[in-house]
Amino acid sequence: MVRFKSRYLLCEVRMSDPPSLQLLDDRSVFTALRNAVSRAHGDYGAGVCGLSFAVKYLNARTGVLFLRCRKSHYRLIWSALPFVSSLESRGQRLPCAVDCLHVGGTIRTCQKFLIRYNARQIQRLLPQCRSEEECVEVRRAVMSCSLKELEEEEEEEDEERGEVSAGQ
Amino acid sequence: LTMLTDLEKCPRHLLVCEKSNFLNEKSRHDVHVAGHYFNYKVSVLIPECGTLPSGLKSIVNSIAKYYLVKNFPIYKILEEKFLEKQVKAGSLCALSYKTRIDQDNTFALLPTGKLVLSLDKDTYEDLGLEGQPSQYNHKVPVRYVITVDLADKSLAPGTNKYKRVMWALKEKVQLRSDFLMAKHKPDEEECPLASCFTDYQYKEYKPSVSTQTLSDVPCPVIHSKHLKGQAEESCDSQEFVEWLGAVTAGIECNNEASTFLSTYCCPDPRIIMGKACLCTVTGFLLPENIYQLLEEIRHYFDEPKFAPWSTLTVHGFSDSPVSWSTAEHGFHKGGENMYSFVIFRNDDYWLYMATGAHDACPP
Amino acid sequence: EEPASYERLVLKNASVYHYLRISLVFQDSDKRLSEAQFKQLIISALRDLYGEIGAAFPFDVLKFEENTLKAIIRVLSSGLVKLWSALTLLGSYQNEPCAFRIIQVSPLLLALSGNSRDFE
Repeated sequence: MVRFKSRYLLCEVRMSDPPSLQLLDDRSVFTALRNAVSRAHGDYGAGVCGLSFAVKYLNARTGVLFLRCRKSHYRLIWSALPFVSSLESRGQRLPCAVDCLHVGGTIRTCQKFLIRYNARQIQRLLPQCRSEEECVEVRRAVMSCSLKELEEEEEEEDEERGEVSAGQ
Repeated sequence: LTMLTDLEKCPRHLLVCEKSNFLNEKSRHDVHVAGHYFNYKVSVLIPECGTLPSGLKSIVNSIAKYYLVKNFPIYKILEEKFLEKQVKAGSLCALSYKTRIDQDNTFALLPTGKLVLSLDKDTYEDLGLEGQPSQYNHKVPVRYVITVDLADKSLAPGTNKYKRVMWALKEKVQLRSDFLMAKHKPDEEECPLASCFTDYQYKEYKPSVSTQTLSDVPCPVIHSKHLKGQAEESCDSQEFVEWLGAVTAGIECNNEASTFLSTYCCPDPRIIMGKACLCTVTGFLLPENIYQLLEEIRHYFDEPKFAPWSTLTVHGFSDSPVSWSTAEHGFHKGGENMYSFVIFRNDDYWLYMATGAHDACPP
Repeated sequence: EEPASYERLVLKNASVYHYLRISLVFQDSDKRLSEAQFKQLIISALRDLYGEIGAAFPFDVLKFEENTLKAIIRVLSSGLVKLWSALTLLGSYQNEPCAFRIIQVSPLLLALSGNSRDFE
């Protein structure tokens, strides 16, 4: 048996107006990406990317986005990502940018990367806390999120770890 | 960064560049010319020369006539009379006309007496003669090549093998085609080629000659000893051959840096040549004719001339079943099989030989 | 001056460029266009099929005959397939049906100066 090899792109959607992230859905992201590929790579690119291109997961709170496409031409989608400048959702045009964080062969490697990436982000952001209390608060929040306490989705960190493992 | 690797491949091609001297004992220029049997076009470029030199002119005008014979059956070539009088007497070239090597049956008679039939699968199977699958088949063979050596003793008229081949070509499948034929023989009066196909519709042709004078053409500087060129002093052989192509195709080499259309310009270092003579002969040309031309160009430099070099370019038939001697030839995308001499004043020469994707490396 | 010694270079797939001899045909034959329009037409054909990134490679119109709409084009070898396919799929110019015919393709410009397939 030969299986179709895929590539998973781990991306982050950044909004100029962060609360509007909540308005996003899979379909609007998919359409925007397909249009961008079609503009950057023409009819040929659009046709080739149509094969097994899918939005696997979108977190409307953190903007984390998983895309799946064929291994042979993931570069087409990859190179078209910077050309996405806005998403259309519920009749609104939302200015945004899509950054690619990681390209992996399985969802699992992407998830591992995302955990490491977020850990690094926290280390980077912690020194910016203005008071001791803030530090303690963040630490408590982080400590409180483990797989056992999935219900309490209150912290960014938590959601990503939880949902990704649920998605597997 | 390549995004569409599968779209960025292009067919294989080979270009061989040689440098040597005509007086060098081991020089194989004569072998290369004599081994390229089916020539369609030859062009001579002589710089710093307003009109074609008289020596060359007389050779160009004396190039052998050729015949186009309509609907000629191949078994006729094997008939005893034709075989003895024409084929074995030597240097008869014949090539099927307007047959495409990638779709039709193509036939060629080499001056050595070999008959090459390049056939599609159905004809090959009907014919029932032994052959080889073409080298450039895909997974399933769809083309076969049969080589019959008419000069071989085992194929003398009367032998079983002869009868078998004759039967296959005459009774089994009567292969016919229009043929281009030419023969190099000074004593042609004895048995003229034309007498052999009076039963068929045929026409005699003379090669067509066109001469043009180019003026004020920028021209790259080359040095016979440096095939790869020297920085700031002379151009390399690849730059030169591109320029030569541009000049023969009548392409403008003086593009401004800002032009939208084309960025091609004559390579540096360059000089301006005041005048140049470009003479083109088209027809069914025999290797002997080409060799005469080559010798004449060498003699052109016997007296001191302004021109540092001159060139002789020979195009082969892209649908011929062989390129050099018996090497199989195919069309694929371009079907090029051609060579070009750059002849320098001091008997040095450069020789380019090019073949396309369905072809062996030039000799 | 001593004679040049023997040297042989075998260049396999060494040509940076490929050359195409093409012609543009219109359904009604009296359409005319200039060199610049001709190049623009090819660029737009490329952009339709391969988009802005895919079509971003250079090619040169080496020669263009306005009367016959025949041209010789030079393209980087890596862009040959893209250019060829884009030319094939082009169907109209200013709402006039038209088509490109690829007459000859070669990695050697010199080879385009002779085409034995239109030998009469």
